[in-house]
Amino acid sequence: MLRKRIIFTLIYSNGNFMQSRNFRLQKVGDINWLEKNYKFQKIAFSLDELIVLNASRDEKSTLEFAKIINRLADDVFIPIAAGGGIRSIEDAELLFKNGADKIILNSPLIDDKDLVKKLVQKYGSQSIVASVDYRRTGEQHEVYIHDGATKLDLSLQKYISYLEQLHIGEIYLNSIDQDGTGFGYDISTIEEVAKFVTVPLIIAGGAGNELHLMEGLNTDHVSAVATANLFNFIGDGLPKAREKVILNGLNIAKWLY
Amino acid sequence: MTVAIVDYGMGNIKSIESALKYLGIKNISLTNSYDILEKADKLILPGVGSFRHAMDNIKALNLDQSLHELVINKKKPILGICLGMQLMTKSSCEDGFTLGLNFIDAEVTRFEQNSFRIPHVGFNQVNVDSNLNLYHEMSGAVDFYFTHSYKVLSNQPLHQCLCNYGSDFIASFEVNNIAGVQFHPELSQHNGLKLLNNFIKRF
Repeated sequence: MLRKRIIFTLIYSNGNFMQSRNFRLQKVGDINWLEKNYKFQKIAFSLDELIVLNASRDEKSTLEFAKIINRLADDVFIPIAAGGGIRSIEDAELLFKNGADKIILNSPLIDDKDLVKKLVQKYGSQSIVASVDYRRTGEQHEVYIHDGATKLDLSLQKYISYLEQLHIGEIYLNSIDQDGTGFGYDISTIEEVAKFVTVPLIIAGGAGNELHLMEGLNTDHVSAVATANLFNFIGDGLPKAREKVILNGLNIAKWLY
Repeated sequence: MTVAIVDYGMGNIKSIESALKYLGIKNISLTNSYDILEKADKLILPGVGSFRHAMDNIKALNLDQSLHELVINKKKPILGICLGMQLMTKSSCEDGFTLGLNFIDAEVTRFEQNSFRIPHVGFNQVNVDSNLNLYHEMSGAVDFYFTHSYKVLSNQPLHQCLCNYGSDFIASFEVNNIAGVQFHPELSQHNGLKLLNNFIKRF
């Protein structure tokens, strides 16, 4: 049976990893710090996939970012999805060459449809993840690109159906309101999206403990739960969370050896 | 111990190198030179992408002949990963009919169109046979990471282990010095590292 996944999202900005809260970034430490204090390789053994987002707000340097991916790929033996700042085929190629197994796109989904099509053609749908940032306003949802700075004039449903027509492989659905709060996922929106989405759905934004991860994994049509919460999950947080998820009989992979 | 990864321009080499390094392999080369492949203790045939494109590259580099000499005549141990495993079969129907390296009596076909989403991507369970070298000290249903749209089928005894996704398909085989895995051991945590270590130690 195909398994569901637990994903950790590392947020990178100009040389450092960050804790994000409602898309405001707070510096945590650089890659040496991550390896030294958080023994990242050990933690990665309780994950199914790693996502690394380049959230540098000024000029995003893919060259520097690719070096970080290369270093992380030495330490983890799971698929890595990397993105943020991909503006050309060359940017994508650089990330793939340095160990990325998938790439993540956000702004080009609107700004450069041709690039998205070319990337899908070259690397296949399964290698392309579309990141969707949204906010809730009452019963409605607003979709954002450009690191949450530009609001689109499209409903969440229309936007996701547009992305599916571009043949992207997966949706990474991130709630800006829940981001970094630790209050739990926006389950009502996720349930709504699950009704119409046809590609694998990764949910992000709000997970603060293993109960949140389980709630997400138990939601129909959710393929993966992601958390970017360094403070709550790093240390022995993730290994313990994974253990509890398995003890509760959820459908995730078991590492036996 | 030296391991040569066959370089024909396709595949995520970085992750395979990292996994081999983690297992303590110091001499890893990425090469299409016959002499270097010939000197290696083990070969790995990687691959991500289209079967036809891969065979075109392999032929352009004369690797079909080099590999035939090393694997069939000289019995050098080789592990095919994902597309690399598929290339070891007789043929594939991807992008029209294409002949493979013909190391094993098997064929590559597309997954049937049914309610299962294609490509098959993610961790899935392989029913392993502990008597095989690849699965030494492993047993039961073991999770490995897959990403593919085509699958290998065969009626021949290839010591195959199966995975199910809509229907059964060959997740791995081993015939003497030739082994292939449809999944990515380098992306399958301890389960995959154990399998790679078995290949290194037991072939």
